[in-house]
Amino acid sequence: MTGRNSTQSRRRFLALSGTTATAAIAGCSGILGGGDGGDGGSDGGTGSGTGQLSLSDFRGSGPLVAQRDAPGGTSIEELPDLSGELTLYLGGGEGGLYLDLIELFEQLYPDFSANHRLEASSDLANTIIEENEAGASPADVFMSIDAGSLGAVANAGATASLPEEALSTVPDAYQDSEGRWVGIAGRARAIPYNTNQISESDIPSTVQEFPEAAALENSMGWAPSYGAFQSFVTAMRLIRGDDETRAWLQAMQDHGISTYADEFRVSNACADGELTAGFANHYYTLRVQSARESAPIGLAFTEGDAGALVNVSGLEIINGTDNADLAANFVRHVLSAEAQEFFATRTFAYPMIPGVAPVGDLPRIDDLNPPDINLTELADVAGTVDLLRDAGVL
Amino acid sequence: MGTKDRYERLREQATTSERDSSPHTLLAVVSLAISLLLLAPLIWVFLRAGEIEFARAVELLTSDTTVSVTLNTLALVTGVTVASILIGVPLAILTAQTDLPFKRFWTITSALPLVVPSYIGAFAFVSAFGPRGVLADLLSPLGIEQIPTIYGLHGAILVLTLFTYPYVFLTTRASLLSFDGTVVEAARTLNHTRWEAFRRVTLPQIAPGIAAGALLVALYTLSDFGTPAIMQYDVFTRMIYNEFGARRLDYASVLSMLLLVMALGILAVESRLNAGRDGAYVSSGSRRPGLIRLGYWKGPALLFCGAIASLCLVLPVGILLQWLLRSGTGYSGGGFTFDAAYAWNSVGLAAAAAAICVVAALPIAYLSARGSSGFSSLPERATYVGYAVPGVVLGLALVYLGLRYVPFLYQSVILLVFAYVIRFLPQAVGTTESSILQVDPSYIEAARSLGYHPLSAFRKVVLPLVAPGIAAGAALVFLTTMKELPATLMLRPTGFETFVTYIWLVQGAGYYGQAAVPALVLVGLSGLSMLVILRREDTS
Repeated sequence: MTGRNSTQSRRRFLALSGTTATAAIAGCSGILGGGDGGDGGSDGGTGSGTGQLSLSDFRGSGPLVAQRDAPGGTSIEELPDLSGELTLYLGGGEGGLYLDLIELFEQLYPDFSANHRLEASSDLANTIIEENEAGASPADVFMSIDAGSLGAVANAGATASLPEEALSTVPDAYQDSEGRWVGIAGRARAIPYNTNQISESDIPSTVQEFPEAAALENSMGWAPSYGAFQSFVTAMRLIRGDDETRAWLQAMQDHGISTYADEFRVSNACADGELTAGFANHYYTLRVQSARESAPIGLAFTEGDAGALVNVSGLEIINGTDNADLAANFVRHVLSAEAQEFFATRTFAYPMIPGVAPVGDLPRIDDLNPPDINLTELADVAGTVDLLRDAGVL
Repeated sequence: MGTKDRYERLREQATTSERDSSPHTLLAVVSLAISLLLLAPLIWVFLRAGEIEFARAVELLTSDTTVSVTLNTLALVTGVTVASILIGVPLAILTAQTDLPFKRFWTITSALPLVVPSYIGAFAFVSAFGPRGVLADLLSPLGIEQIPTIYGLHGAILVLTLFTYPYVFLTTRASLLSFDGTVVEAARTLNHTRWEAFRRVTLPQIAPGIAAGALLVALYTLSDFGTPAIMQYDVFTRMIYNEFGARRLDYASVLSMLLLVMALGILAVESRLNAGRDGAYVSSGSRRPGLIRLGYWKGPALLFCGAIASLCLVLPVGILLQWLLRSGTGYSGGGFTFDAAYAWNSVGLAAAAAAICVVAALPIAYLSARGSSGFSSLPERATYVGYAVPGVVLGLALVYLGLRYVPFLYQSVILLVFAYVIRFLPQAVGTTESSILQVDPSYIEAARSLGYHPLSAFRKVVLPLVAPGIAAGAALVFLTTMKELPATLMLRPTGFETFVTYIWLVQGAGYYGQAAVPALVLVGLSGLSMLVILRREDTS
């Protein structure tokens, strides 16, 4: 009797959940699928596939993207076709945005497919290091959102060499001095602020002055467990040393600062008026502006110090790959004019090749005045975590 | 008189003969093998910890931060456990033993919060009650500019309690359902008041169930990272997480060992509280307790159920819907297209984990409930250790061991399901054991005296009686597997996505709107499975 009852219930459950799931998923894909139109383009010749996709497929839309010039640099049309299967480890939530780009490549080249794995950059770096120590990593390419993770993998000896054609297009500051990783998109440290509560002139031009800024007392936020923030503190340690950095962290806490889980939340809290200003990567503000057009949020930059750090998303080829040529060609594609336009207009990142401009009224990357440090040294996160903990921030 | 004597004698016989019988040796061997297999990955923690200099380890362990964070963690674990009992037990009694209106509905709403991943619950509470949140927006026209902060210890206790109390609810309810109500009636005829009858008869009966649930709550709280982080409360898992982020695995493993010690401490406390449970079983059976008439308590009871359901379900669902509406078209999310396969991947993994856990839990739970020596509870205790390990620690341990010793299983579904079994087996063990404890051993003996083989006596007599406990265990494993995130991320095959990996991905990228729909589907789908399981529980 029990058996029959449970069988009936099970059937009913399957029927019900099946219907619900199908309906819901149908709903989802309608909502989620929106965005770049046209999933065609997979038929057609293998020659120069760009006939199937135009620059507008790579470019984002919306008020921030209007009136852009055509990008300079090497076009995809000038590169060899991508062909074969590549295993990509993609770091960080924003890695999801890179999926759009990879999907475009897959549309462009029917013979190309990318098997991807998405996790936090630091977790993937750990995984690759573990895999490498055990013999080999299934990953062909590591695409990470911070130079620290790239540096850690490189320092563990888990990388293979990158193509010279790719390295030569990117300024020295945004690639490893030994050519083990290369930047693909820039991420500037910035100060999001609430434009109803404060004006840009109230924001100090160096991070050292923040603890004395009366307008910002008890009204700032940061995300100290977030990788980008830790890279910023690592940069401060490299520039000013541990003691001064500890003193600054202490002073900021005495000044009154709230802790958030990540910098998107810090930026949203500024837009909401919960915070007057915060420490966050630049593109979160553009993202808030883009999603909530009337949100009172502005963006300021400090100058010449850790607060002006430009970290990069980057790529490296993983040691022991069977797909070295495909991986190298993939790296060149990611540094093409079209892909860089994609990063600039869809992720609001700083493009890495000189021919492509950043979006909207962002200052050019050359105007940013970042500190002069070796980004590979950002791999020393451990010392930063100790310091943050010592200062009572973590 | 004569009947009673015979019954007592039979029962005595049953107890002695069952405790000495040889099947227990086999059970012990099987149970021990299972628990050793499950504990093996934790060897990695010790291997890594062994790489660190002793002086540095001591320095880290005795630092002010470590001490204060340990105290924070203990405060959180205690608070959440006590609060979960205060919510879970009354709800279980109301839905199992009273004439509460719409009992089925309230049973489901009381169990359902377990399907809401606690990090989504925490976001919802911050959105609703944080500064400039929904509540603040509603109140500000009334001139109320400041509301008490949601952040901190009380916020973390609130959120974790609301999304973990169902452990106590489910295990307590399973105990109530498989316990013989005639005893309460007998107590009542002996002029006990309702409260006295509850305290002297019901409570000792359901105590193992409550303890099993409370233990799950305590260990979950110990291992959770997301909620305290979002509620801005500094606990142990965050230190571990930061060490991992800093790629300093040796430190992380030293801290993980300290966390394991805390888990063992919780297990020891629970053992002590549970020491008297040997006498817990009485003649039990399928007879339902008489319904308690709520009378004029009906209103307050409904209010209580409604308030909990509003906080745990209406609020997060409302916030998810708000995400859905608020998300603009800032940039496209083409790479985030949800694929139906993700849903089936989740369901398949959860079903496999639930099935394996139920099978593995039976011998362990039976041995623990019926075994004679102090050692018979060891395998059961051992399974809880894996539950207390943060997913990220277990994930990395399996990455490390998988790569070196079973490379063909690395990034395979098998290794992933193994991780789920390590983490969630105690949920099945706890509920199964508390049901077995309530089955009078003399039943088995009676069946055997009728010529049944021990195994078939177990199948015909014990299994039907403990079915509600097993079903509740399966439900728990299924639901928690559906929402497990860190180990899933690290161990899944590349390209193999599930509900939670998808939700994590889109919300991590700030696409809250697109996290909303799958999160709602996840809650709905899990809710349906809960419905089926609760229905089955009633018909058995």
